Amino acid sequence: MTGIRWGYALNQWDTNIDAFVRKRDHERAFKTISISGFSGVELTAESFGPWEPLGSPEQIANLYGSLDGLRRVLTECALDGVSSYVYDPFIGFDVEMGRGHDPLDPEAAPRITATAVWFAEALAALGGEVLVVRPCGSAWQTGALDDDRIAALAACWNTVGAAVAAAGVSLALHFDFLSALRLDDGLARLLDATDPELVGLALDTAEVAVAGLDPVAVFERHADRVRHVQLKDARDVVDDAEALTPHAEQFVRTEGGARRVERWFFEPTDEGGLVDFESFAGSLARHGYTGWIVVESDQSPHPAESAMVSGWYVQNVLAPLTSAAGELSGSAVGKA
Amino acid sequence: MTTEATVAGDTAGTRPIKWSYMDHWRANGPRGPYDQWHSRQTMTRFLRQVAAVGFDAIDTFDFRFWQILEQYGSVANYQEFVQEQGLERIVNTFHGVYYDPERYAPEVPATHETILEDFKVTLDRWSGIQLDNIIVMPGSRFFDEQGVTDDGLKHAAEVWGKVGELTQQYGVNLTCHHEFYGGIRTRAQIDTFYGYADPRYVKFFVDTAQHCIADVDPVAVYEAHHERVSGFHFKDTRTKDVNEDYRLWPDAELSAVTTEKWFYEMGTAEGLVDFESMMRSVRDHGYTGWISVEHDKADKIGGDYSESTAIARWYAKNVLDRIYQEERA
Repeated sequence: MTGIRWGYALNQWDTNIDAFVRKRDHERAFKTISISGFSGVELTAESFGPWEPLGSPEQIANLYGSLDGLRRVLTECALDGVSSYVYDPFIGFDVEMGRGHDPLDPEAAPRITATAVWFAEALAALGGEVLVVRPCGSAWQTGALDDDRIAALAACWNTVGAAVAAAGVSLALHFDFLSALRLDDGLARLLDATDPELVGLALDTAEVAVAGLDPVAVFERHADRVRHVQLKDARDVVDDAEALTPHAEQFVRTEGGARRVERWFFEPTDEGGLVDFESFAGSLARHGYTGWIVVESDQSPHPAESAMVSGWYVQNVLAPLTSAAGELSGSAVGKA
Repeated sequence: MTTEATVAGDTAGTRPIKWSYMDHWRANGPRGPYDQWHSRQTMTRFLRQVAAVGFDAIDTFDFRFWQILEQYGSVANYQEFVQEQGLERIVNTFHGVYYDPERYAPEVPATHETILEDFKVTLDRWSGIQLDNIIVMPGSRFFDEQGVTDDGLKHAAEVWGKVGELTQQYGVNLTCHHEFYGGIRTRAQIDTFYGYADPRYVKFFVDTAQHCIADVDPVAVYEAHHERVSGFHFKDTRTKDVNEDYRLWPDAELSAVTTEKWFYEMGTAEGLVDFESMMRSVRDHGYTGWISVEHDKADKIGGDYSESTAIARWYAKNVLDRIYQEERA
């Protein structure tokens, strides 16, 4: 694939196990995304059986008859297909609703690899190209990662990267604001320790910004490794001390920490936030980025509104800035 | 605009059909529900959503005039604000008036001077931009068994003819929109009314869902009167009025027995309006220009204006535009 393609993440619709289960709900989201100017959707791996029907290849087949069945529905909704699958190895798929594996555990690598290949092959069948993974646990769990542990992670993800490449899928490590990689320059050290041919970076603008980093600077530092972009905004920063809160996923990310932050992530707009999207888009163009840019709002209370508002911003502001490197879906730009 | 020379304001440009959004809207914020007129920022968000999914323009209500003055300074300024968000213009305005036989009712000649004066004032207020249509309810609401008498239909046709002659001096069509609870609601009433009304000055604005609820086939009534049709509200419904809800006070759209939600976006499952037939008929009768999309009260019983607007526009682009572009049968 060449150029830039714009997708939208479905995670904001899938708020609970009893939400976003019916095919009708999926189709309304697909049509909303398509008519807002996006050409693909990003799926998230979820392990909760049939209540997460887009959560795994097995459940997709259960609801849609086959992966091709979902692909046909996407096409009928005027989408090209799936852009990417987000897979967190700490979520288990050996047994639905079970626990997963820690990439720091050398014995876990074969299981993680097998699951990653399962998703990668499905992704390829759905038209997708990038498997986005959570590379390691959170800062509060491990503290800063020493060189041995960085090497262990690199070995795991090199193996996974080689395996998914066989399916024609790129592997991209996703940095989140609670990640252990935020400590001691862990992200850069892990990227340096991995094979650039096999392992790339999924740069999520909001996660980087909440971690107190400048997304433009992070992109420019690792531009040659960025295989995937997730575009969303944030308004509050979590420093290292707060990230080290025990069970920070629950007490900081979910509950908002001591400040009771109600919402970490927002759709990209020009309404003000930590991310300078115009500078970021300019940097993408200057470095000749090609690949998917998946827009998210992640926790939007109003999914359709978020998709449409960010669709306007992409069509009118960001896509022109990146146009030297790609083109936007014709879905809305061409209008009727 | 239609191809008939009698219809004013052909500004549609090169594409045969353009899509406008009638600006019903509610969204939810930290303080609860609000509409787009809450602030310039909420208006920006609304307009950008409409533009993002490919609508070309908006329609509005002219009773927003005072709010427009306060927030934007003038109607022309407001249209510029609309254009800055990527929309072409404001196409139509709906003239919402609470009819009262004592002071303002089309069937009551004694009130006609008031009606005419009201339109002079309204058209002057909106003269800073060029509208295509000013849309009216041609008859009072139906609160009694008699509805509008035959004389009443004649009186209504007479006053709308005078109003239409006035509005055309501003380059704007006077066009009639028949609510299912309106006094001119049945097919017989509609046919009789247009039989009395001067086709030069009194146009017809087809609302697919309102006709359907009133058990009037929207395709058939369009075909019967297509020569004077100056616009459409394309919206759907899932039920006809089977409980004489049209008689209910104060507002049959809100207080009905049949359903808590009459209107759905076109493209909805279980919809009663046959939009594919409607679009073929529109095409085959040579209509070109603006079609307005509407789904008022889309937020009832868990609905969402944003999503309904996206789905409707998806349907317009992926189904109806393609039908229009097909070769005629």
